[in-house]
Amino acid sequence: MNEIKTPTTYLVENCIMPFCKGCGHSHIVRKLDEAMVRLNLDPKNINLVSDIGCIGLVDSLFKTPHTVHTTHGRSTAFATGIELADCILFDSKLKTIVLIGDGGSMIGFLHLVQAALLNVDVTVILANNFLFGMTGGQNSSASPIDFITPTTPNGNIVPPLDMCKMMIDSHAGFVARKISTDKDLADVIFKAIAHPGFALVEIIELCTEYATPFNKLTGKALQEIVNKNGQELGILIEKQERNEFGVVYSSKFPKKIISETEKVSESANRIYENNLKRKIGIILAGSAGGKVQSAARMFCEAAVLANLKCTQKNDNPVTQGSGFSLSEVCIGPTEIFYTGIDDPDVVIIVSQDGIRELQSKKIFSTLSSSCVVFVDESLELPETNANVYRLPFSKMCKPNKMAASALLGYISASDIFPVEAFTELFKIKFRSEEEFFPKEFIEKIKSINFNADYINEKN
Amino acid sequence: MNSNKISNIKLRTGNQMIAEGAMRAGCKFFAGYPITPASGIYKSMIDLLQQQGDIAISSPDEISALAYCVGASMRGLKTMTATSGPGWALMIETIQYALMTETPVVIAIVQRLGPSTGGATQGAQGDILLAEFATSGGYTIPILCPSNSVECFELSMLAFKWAELLRTPVVILSDKEVGMTTDSVDYFDLKELPSALRVPFQVESISNNYRMYDYQKVSDVPAFAAVGEEWKVTATGSAHNKYGALKKNDLETLEVLHHLEEKIQARKDDLVVVKKDIQIDAQTLVISFGITARTMNESIIQAREEGKKVSSLNILSLFPVPEKEIIKAAEGVKRVVIAEENFSGQYRKVISLIIKEKEIIGVNKIGLMIKPKEILETIL
Repeated sequence: MNEIKTPTTYLVENCIMPFCKGCGHSHIVRKLDEAMVRLNLDPKNINLVSDIGCIGLVDSLFKTPHTVHTTHGRSTAFATGIELADCILFDSKLKTIVLIGDGGSMIGFLHLVQAALLNVDVTVILANNFLFGMTGGQNSSASPIDFITPTTPNGNIVPPLDMCKMMIDSHAGFVARKISTDKDLADVIFKAIAHPGFALVEIIELCTEYATPFNKLTGKALQEIVNKNGQELGILIEKQERNEFGVVYSSKFPKKIISETEKVSESANRIYENNLKRKIGIILAGSAGGKVQSAARMFCEAAVLANLKCTQKNDNPVTQGSGFSLSEVCIGPTEIFYTGIDDPDVVIIVSQDGIRELQSKKIFSTLSSSCVVFVDESLELPETNANVYRLPFSKMCKPNKMAASALLGYISASDIFPVEAFTELFKIKFRSEEEFFPKEFIEKIKSINFNADYINEKN
Repeated sequence: MNSNKISNIKLRTGNQMIAEGAMRAGCKFFAGYPITPASGIYKSMIDLLQQQGDIAISSPDEISALAYCVGASMRGLKTMTATSGPGWALMIETIQYALMTETPVVIAIVQRLGPSTGGATQGAQGDILLAEFATSGGYTIPILCPSNSVECFELSMLAFKWAELLRTPVVILSDKEVGMTTDSVDYFDLKELPSALRVPFQVESISNNYRMYDYQKVSDVPAFAAVGEEWKVTATGSAHNKYGALKKNDLETLEVLHHLEEKIQARKDDLVVVKKDIQIDAQTLVISFGITARTMNESIIQAREEGKKVSSLNILSLFPVPEKEIIKAAEGVKRVVIAEENFSGQYRKVISLIIKEKEIIGVNKIGLMIKPKEILETIL
């Protein structure tokens, strides 16, 4: 739109720093501005994301770049979101720079770690003055040992976190530690912003309001703190071993337009008639690995082919692969509202885990005499008023086929819908009819004189 | 056998349909963190977005998930995340930021039993007040509440429409029973909704100077400019004037704070989504929402079979509260029954003042779904 002019500053005219006299934040702002000028960035391609605290005041000092003033500690996460969008679905021209203090960096520690791990093109300027200046000088996670603050009046006794080390261990490509008055600070910020991928520059400084009055500090205080912490100054790591996140993501998941026909992947299906007068509830109970829930799913798919509505709810222990496995299926000729089964029409139990789970729900004592229970003949069933059919599931089928076999048996015996609706599905899914459902077994079930009130009278 | 008839019925969970609705609405960015019973949305969005090269990403926690979404929305994308009560508790700081910065974002909360870790695989409708009153100051967060997979699809699309047009966060309040239960869904019956997009800032609009939070009428929704585009964005979670400048208690700043609520209140009649089944001379009105609305529907059928006269109201837009619809539905009835799966009657507390001259009865329960007979017992 406007012709891009080489900017001389991005700061507001006659910028007055809002910081205390002697505070390093003023240096940081001017050196950041200088670095961005040298990078000759179009202001619309600069995104300054500021945290909470004194350093969070910087957004109002910049006139032309985008500024996003965020919540405490979360600045890097918002910046990551903006960058992810920009580098994958836009032109990836945006340079996102986070300004955060030492307090915020500890709140948002995992946001920093994740941004470094992802290697998003975010540059973090960490202004570390070892305390919370805006709220009264309280000690932070960056306070050195023996540091005196209003909340450590006898000297800090907890060692400081080395954020640079943390970032290096999080595979950051560019990490530096500088003093706010360093002559080459703008050079290092320049390199950090130019670095393609995540970069962090920790800039140490002293809070003139709270650090200098209470601590015995010499002119070389910052160097001494660094030494005492066992840390180093300068560029600690600068490498480009990894592509930035957007490049990796876009090569793995290239932009592709999915057509509407692709979206509707499953083809329209044939419809069978059904003989169901009302909604019925079926409970399937077995063990993990017994394909109970997938058998129930197949039954639902068959019911849909038979023009019925259905709902299916599954339950199992949180560990997924052990203990009971339960499915509750409702099918009916009209929309199914209530998905619970208070008065089941059919209960199928193929393992001891299944019995145990149903017993813990106190189901057996509530079953009505019109309910049909299919249970494996090897299992002991608690007392119930229901019609119990003991069948040789475990003798005739492998454990993972018992539930499906039982359902096939139920469909055959009840004639709720044509058994082909079900067999057609398992032919497709398992490529075998015989193996799943031994003929003699089906015959045995079919021989059950099965009369249910919910089945239409046959002509 | 009627083999000529074709259908396009698929088995879908509520979670899957929230994801499909989001895709249909043009969602381009999803950040997720696993939590039962919402993980199905996360998984579906990973599959659906990545296959077309859009962005679906795993985040290290729920705070990051929502912050990534808010950031991506500031860059100009339609974004969504999904969680349950414990994750929502962590997101409350960030949802306030989205509201304050007028950033559109959709959050699907699939409720489970609380408090605290509660019951991961147990349903509940216990986060109604926690979801709605999540802001300091009590600003309205529009909340949509589906009761089945089809409504999940439709309300997911609607949530994006509201988020975009109002420039505000919108919550889809599902629950374990809706999210993880499979329904048979006929795709031929799904209602489409035209895609909506936040109004972009243009030079002609208002003035040539972009002001991040500009409006003429206090109820207007400001035009949007994305971070990284031509117009300088000045976003802030601090109390601010129309420029986005931090100001303490000046008149314009206080007005902007009013504007955040006014833009929603002025449109609250447009935001109403209810399903009503009104019977003339009904003695009882049953009100419910979410999974319990399904129970309500079943109990209404049974009550009428018993010759009772009863009306029902399924509220899909819980907030802003559809006051007029509630008053209208309650006209002439003696008793209003409000059924919800929490022990204290959270929504009943919210709406009881609207219908205070009626006899109000709550049907409440925790740990298990409310049964039809439990509602039936309360119908006159």
